[in-house]
Amino acid sequence: MRIFVAGIRKLLRRPATFVTLGLLVGLLGLILIAVSATAGQRTGRAAQESLLLVTFPGAYSLILSFILGLGGLFAVIYGAAIAGSEWTWGTLKAAVARGESRSGYQLLSFAAIVVMVGVGLVLALAAGVVVAIIGANIAGVSTAGLNDTETLGKMPELMARAWLAIVEEGALGFAIATLARSQLAGIGAGIGVYFGEQFASIFLPDIVKYLPFNAATAVVATSGTGGPGGGAIARLEPNVALLVVVAWLMGALLVTAIFTERAEISG
Amino acid sequence: MTNDGLALATRGLQKRFGTRPALAGLDLSVPSGVVYGFLGPNGAGKTTTMRLLTGLIHPDAGTIEVLGRSFGRADRHRLFEVGALIESPSFYPYLSGRDNLRALAATGAPTGPGRIEELLELVGLRERGKDKVQTYSLGMKQRLGIAAALLSDPRLLLLDEPANGLDPAGIVAMRETLRHLAAQGKTVFVSSHVLGEVQQLADVIGIIAAGRLVREGPIDQLLLGEGAVRIRVELAEVDAARTALVPLVGDAMVEAIAGDDGWLAVHIAATRASEVNRALAQAGIYASALEAGNDLESLFLELTRGEAGASHEGTFFGLAGSNDAPPPRSGAADASTGGPS
Ligand SMILES: Nc1ncnc2c1ncn2[C@@H]1O[C@H](COP(=O)(O)OP(=O)(O)OP(=O)(O)O)[C@@H](O)[C@H]1O
Ligand SMILES: [Mg+2]
Repeated sequence: MRIFVAGIRKLLRRPATFVTLGLLVGLLGLILIAVSATAGQRTGRAAQESLLLVTFPGAYSLILSFILGLGGLFAVIYGAAIAGSEWTWGTLKAAVARGESRSGYQLLSFAAIVVMVGVGLVLALAAGVVVAIIGANIAGVSTAGLNDTETLGKMPELMARAWLAIVEEGALGFAIATLARSQLAGIGAGIGVYFGEQFASIFLPDIVKYLPFNAATAVVATSGTGGPGGGAIARLEPNVALLVVVAWLMGALLVTAIFTERAEISG
Repeated sequence: MTNDGLALATRGLQKRFGTRPALAGLDLSVPSGVVYGFLGPNGAGKTTTMRLLTGLIHPDAGTIEVLGRSFGRADRHRLFEVGALIESPSFYPYLSGRDNLRALAATGAPTGPGRIEELLELVGLRERGKDKVQTYSLGMKQRLGIAAALLSDPRLLLLDEPANGLDPAGIVAMRETLRHLAAQGKTVFVSSHVLGEVQQLADVIGIIAAGRLVREGPIDQLLLGEGAVRIRVELAEVDAARTALVPLVGDAMVEAIAGDDGWLAVHIAATRASEVNRALAQAGIYASALEAGNDLESLFLELTRGEAGASHEGTFFGLAGSNDAPPPRSGAADASTGGPS
């Protein structure tokens, strides 16, 4: 518990936390504003489709899946940065030398990331909604759907699913950097795995939907806006994707715990 | 099996990295309540030993006892009574010194209230405690590392080259702190390359070379038999000087120091330097230089040259430079790489 609380304190003071959230919100805002500002220049279906992004209540889940799509890369980098720096800075070494449980330390540190991802998700969604309202006004779209009770009723579940999915992607980065025992190598390998998976869809279309990032984006069912796969490949059904995501999450944490327990810690 | 009165004991400790043995059967016996100086050339295995003692790595063979009880893979709680600074201090650069200590206090043994402020005061970082560690100087990080090692008021303190980067005042303060801890019954196990510092600080020393213990014991006793008087005479008189000195100490105890510049080493207690001088004068030889000392450096260099456990005979000053310089008074680190004479 002490480690969990300390973990949150550390993440709150860490520049990477705010840089990651800032980038995510900034990109999201840019896209939403750009879409609304240019909608008037397009005609017909294209204009209508792009305006869906700022048309409530549908915009809620579209923004969420947008965050999920962009968040995958950010999550893997963030997870890798946190886990990798423990090795690079020798702070894991210091904890272990004080008699702390190695896997306990790692898992509680990750638990702090889980909380931060949840908070970040809520903040990003809130920011996204605010920007979408602004966008709707720019594009002259009604915001009457904002209070749609049916959609709002579904949001908690969708948020929880998105949270789990981003946590899984973070766990992957966490595990990769633990294996790499280094912040830089971990981030590099995490990015490599992320894009590797996107490339794999060219060659392994049937398998790639089970891979961690594609499964993660499939957890929230939408019409396929955003997301690395871009809807080009077959997606898992959301509930199947949920199971796959949980399996990847557990696997990543298990690898992290076992590897840390066995590692020879130097440096 | 427990060894009463030992804060730390290793028996037959072995560790290899790949094919290279770092420790080849290390037997250390560290009594409780002393400052133990842990010496050895670069690559001798000091840091490896510290890592084994803190469970960061695990031995290939041999046993470790920490504070009287065996220490294995499942005994991490034993480390609750141990504080360590291994190699370089480890901190989150983006956190302040104070917050780093707080983060560390969340691990391992509980830390008393007020302890962090007390330690920041002790290591002279109270003023800078709120600054990020990435803005600290080398010595400030080292001070914070020492504070971190002391965090849980450990009964056994393991410090790997703690004087690294400390200024003279910091070294004196650290020495006083460590002596004070030992006076309270705590055990301080400290590795260092600054032999003068160890000589002032340690009660007991252990010297290792190539992963093995080559000498261990109370420092006073070890230095007792380690006297040497070094003299310099005219080159032409070297043989005559040797002849004059042999009756005093025996044939094997007088040797020329490499370099062909007239230096001779006489293995005799430093307190008997005047007898050496007299013997020379009686033979009509006048030394142009005479040095006497029984310093740790001489013992260290003697013991750690070449292979561990090799004969010490005839190797004492074999490393002296070939130039006109007097016998080595510094450059202990060079000794580790010196081949057999
Ligand atoms: N992680 C590692 N991988 C491979 N070899 C290692 C590793 N750590 C140490 N060694 C080797 O083990 C030997 C002992 O190293 P160690 O760091 O214990 O020496 P040391 O006595 O602390 O030296 P120094 O005085 O330079 O600090 C060296 O030969 C070193 O190269
Ligand atoms: Mg070392």
